[in-house]
Amino acid sequence: MWDGNLRKYVGLCFLACYFLLGVPLWYKLTNIYRAPLPVEYIKSLHENKFQDVHLVIPVYIKSDTYRFPDIHNAVQIQVNHLLNSKKQYVGWSLQVLAYESLNATEIKYSDNEYHVVSLVLDDFVGYSVAYDAKETTVFYNDEAMVNNDIPFYVAQSLVEHTFALEYNQLGSDLSTHGDSMVITYNPNMHLSISLLSGDGLPVAWEIESTLQRYFTPFREFMAPLVNFTVDTNIVYFNDLNLHMLKDHDSVTSQELSHTVDLSELSSMNYLSDSGALNLAIVFPSNITTPSGFKFINSTSNSSRISDDWQSFIVPQWGNIIINRNPLPPNALLKESYLTPIMYQFATDVFQLLGLTKGSQDLSSPFVTIDSFKRLTILRNINKAEETLWSLVKLTQSFQQMSIPQDVLKNATEALDLRLKIIDMLNDPNLGGDLVWNEALSLSNKLVKSSETAFFHGEMVQQNFFPQEHRIAVYLPLLGPTSVVIFFGFIKLLKEKPVEDTSEKQEKEVIKQDGNDQLED
Amino acid sequence: MLHCLKYSIAVLLLIAGFFGGVVQAEHTNNWAVLVSTSRFWFNYRHMANVLSMYRTVKRLGIPDSQIILMLSDDVACNSRNLFPGSVFNNQDHAIDLYGESVEVDYRGYEVTVENFIRLLTDRWSEDQPKSKRLLTDEKSNIFIYMTGHGGDDFLKFQDAEEIASEDIADAFEQMHQKNRYNEIFFMVDTCQANTMYSKFYSPNILAVGSSEIDESSFSHHSDVEIGVAVIDRFTYYSLDFLEQIEKNSTLTLQDLFDSYTFEKVHSHVGVRTDLYNRDPKEVLITDFFANVQNVVPDNDVEKQYAIGSGDNDTFVQNILNLALERTAEENQAVHSSSQNSKKPLLIKTESFIRESGIRSEGDYKSRLFAASIIAISIISIFISQSKGSHRVQRELYQQ
Repeated sequence: MWDGNLRKYVGLCFLACYFLLGVPLWYKLTNIYRAPLPVEYIKSLHENKFQDVHLVIPVYIKSDTYRFPDIHNAVQIQVNHLLNSKKQYVGWSLQVLAYESLNATEIKYSDNEYHVVSLVLDDFVGYSVAYDAKETTVFYNDEAMVNNDIPFYVAQSLVEHTFALEYNQLGSDLSTHGDSMVITYNPNMHLSISLLSGDGLPVAWEIESTLQRYFTPFREFMAPLVNFTVDTNIVYFNDLNLHMLKDHDSVTSQELSHTVDLSELSSMNYLSDSGALNLAIVFPSNITTPSGFKFINSTSNSSRISDDWQSFIVPQWGNIIINRNPLPPNALLKESYLTPIMYQFATDVFQLLGLTKGSQDLSSPFVTIDSFKRLTILRNINKAEETLWSLVKLTQSFQQMSIPQDVLKNATEALDLRLKIIDMLNDPNLGGDLVWNEALSLSNKLVKSSETAFFHGEMVQQNFFPQEHRIAVYLPLLGPTSVVIFFGFIKLLKEKPVEDTSEKQEKEVIKQDGNDQLED
Repeated sequence: MLHCLKYSIAVLLLIAGFFGGVVQAEHTNNWAVLVSTSRFWFNYRHMANVLSMYRTVKRLGIPDSQIILMLSDDVACNSRNLFPGSVFNNQDHAIDLYGESVEVDYRGYEVTVENFIRLLTDRWSEDQPKSKRLLTDEKSNIFIYMTGHGGDDFLKFQDAEEIASEDIADAFEQMHQKNRYNEIFFMVDTCQANTMYSKFYSPNILAVGSSEIDESSFSHHSDVEIGVAVIDRFTYYSLDFLEQIEKNSTLTLQDLFDSYTFEKVHSHVGVRTDLYNRDPKEVLITDFFANVQNVVPDNDVEKQYAIGSGDNDTFVQNILNLALERTAEENQAVHSSSQNSKKPLLIKTESFIRESGIRSEGDYKSRLFAASIIAISIISIFISQSKGSHRVQRELYQQ
């Protein structure tokens, strides 16, 4: 009796272990971890991307001739009216303030420059945006002053001309970037400068001094926007396949496109975390093309090499400078030759970065760079939101995909950064260079955080693990254990009647023994 | 209502397409992913297939940095190879596919389903080199070529694992979500190849396969010297067509599809166009197999800026001049600030000299003191030594 119960208890313990310990453990160990992403928040951001953004740009107004104590208020009303008349995809406005309120310590080269409007009395009415400062000069005459038209002129100059980039681009969807010329924005950009010679004759160039003199100031100038790194090299026996066009007196850009072979000039793979731009200076070979490339127009009658080159832009790649004549043996390319190329390249870099559409479009670089910074900040916010939304969609459509804790961490970090940037953009008390630079830097971090979340390395592992594979793995492991436990327990349950019959048999044997004794 | 709107937009787009003529390609860069999923000597032809495609896209200008080549790479140096270091795709041995620089990105046991999916979705650990990543963007056209042994909805990877058509479809969807391609041209040469693209659901993907469901793909011919089949039929005739293509070719993908006949390929080649926006008749071969970089002539006006700025002081409006002027002004500001702070610097120098003078005087005294001590100690040693010697002598005499 006691033995039978003990066996049952043991069997029950096994079964209990199986269900109470084994099953939860199996579930825990095989469960795919999916960190709880803030799905609803990201969804609401996607549906109304710039719902909490209202970009405020401070503008200080000053007048040298007359004192207009309330001009900034009057201009503010006109500016608001102009901005409200156009639909804004991203909310923005100008904060017009009196120049006197600007802190006296804010001098021109203090790294924290604000936009200033100067009112100048003249014979005519007009405006001018400074080339070398963040300044708009509005000219007015006495008639305009008497008619009280100055606020309107100032507002129009500011909104439609000085801040034209914001005025035009913030009215439409920022995600559409139609210009195929422009390289994808990256805060780190590597520039690879190559000198290509069609043959193997030795050649030297004064690139170091040229770069020191011309490109270093340019790098410093661009530093808040893009951090340039540079490398240079000389490539022999490579004329980008241009010798195929040696007999052509003129070529179309299509012919050039079909001939130029840039495959050996790709340096992007050697740089871990940056975009790449190229500048290739090509000379024909003395052997294959002794008479040079005839399609390059000579700008002067002299046979000087320095004048006989032409520049071409390769969209999203960089510049090619094609020289007409081959290099003589042991040639040295001096700074005087390289300087105009640097000037050309600096102008083209602006096109490749998307600051200008044409090379002559850069009439007010300071204002353009400033606007570009702001638009890049907003584009980065947009890009990060898109990435996070893609992450959410992805995780929802692939239920078997794990979501590691790091993904949640990066996504949360990105959302916090977004709020921080938006606080900076919305604050009317901020708005100098330092603020835009910091916001730009944070927005680059924001993009990086969101992309780190999206491209997390562990989010791929379970993706191609079908259900039948899982069964195939678990069945040999769990099958024998389950069979033993279940059938063993069933057997135990069935043992009860067997025990009773044996007891009966024992009793019968005893009874029979008793009878035998009686018979004896 | 919504459906009506959708239909009307579709009709409008169709009309616009009709009157607009040929639809222009929107890509700015081309990438190629070429995968041979087999290994071992008897699968020589799969290696030859993929190396032939590699040679073609490279010939048409796609740089190595934009080609991802995955192959087991075990035939060129195989002990059974009668031509060590060479791989041929034809018995005439006209082209050595392994002769020129071949950059294999994933070789041997690196050719796995996981790596392939990671490559497409770009989900790697931080130390993954850039050359082994598919760094495409929304302006990239990607040509994906796969060859190996396959079946209904799967393709074997090195006799060890399989990739299902759903996996590729899901990977493409992830790429689409993150705007990682403009268009994809998917080409697959394997048995029952058409099943491999049957599960695709992301837009802008054009797919072609060598054989339909329950149908085998065949090899083209064997090389007696090499001893195995050297190329597959579908790839052979694709290459036959692609050999006539140059960068300026106007042949389209429809011409390529029309070139496949049952007599040639011995199987039914399938094309899937329902996910693709453009008509293959309007898509140039070079949109996927070549890298045609636009070259835009620049103006020459910048030359005079440099010359003008160098000869006289007049400021010419060029961004470099602005940067130079800015730097010069900043340097001047720094210089003037250092000028202003010169006086205290001089004072400091004077005081330093005076201090050092005092210090040197002190040094002189201390040196004199030290020298006198040394001298006294030396003299005392001499004296004591002389006394000691006398004592020794005396002791000797006593003995």
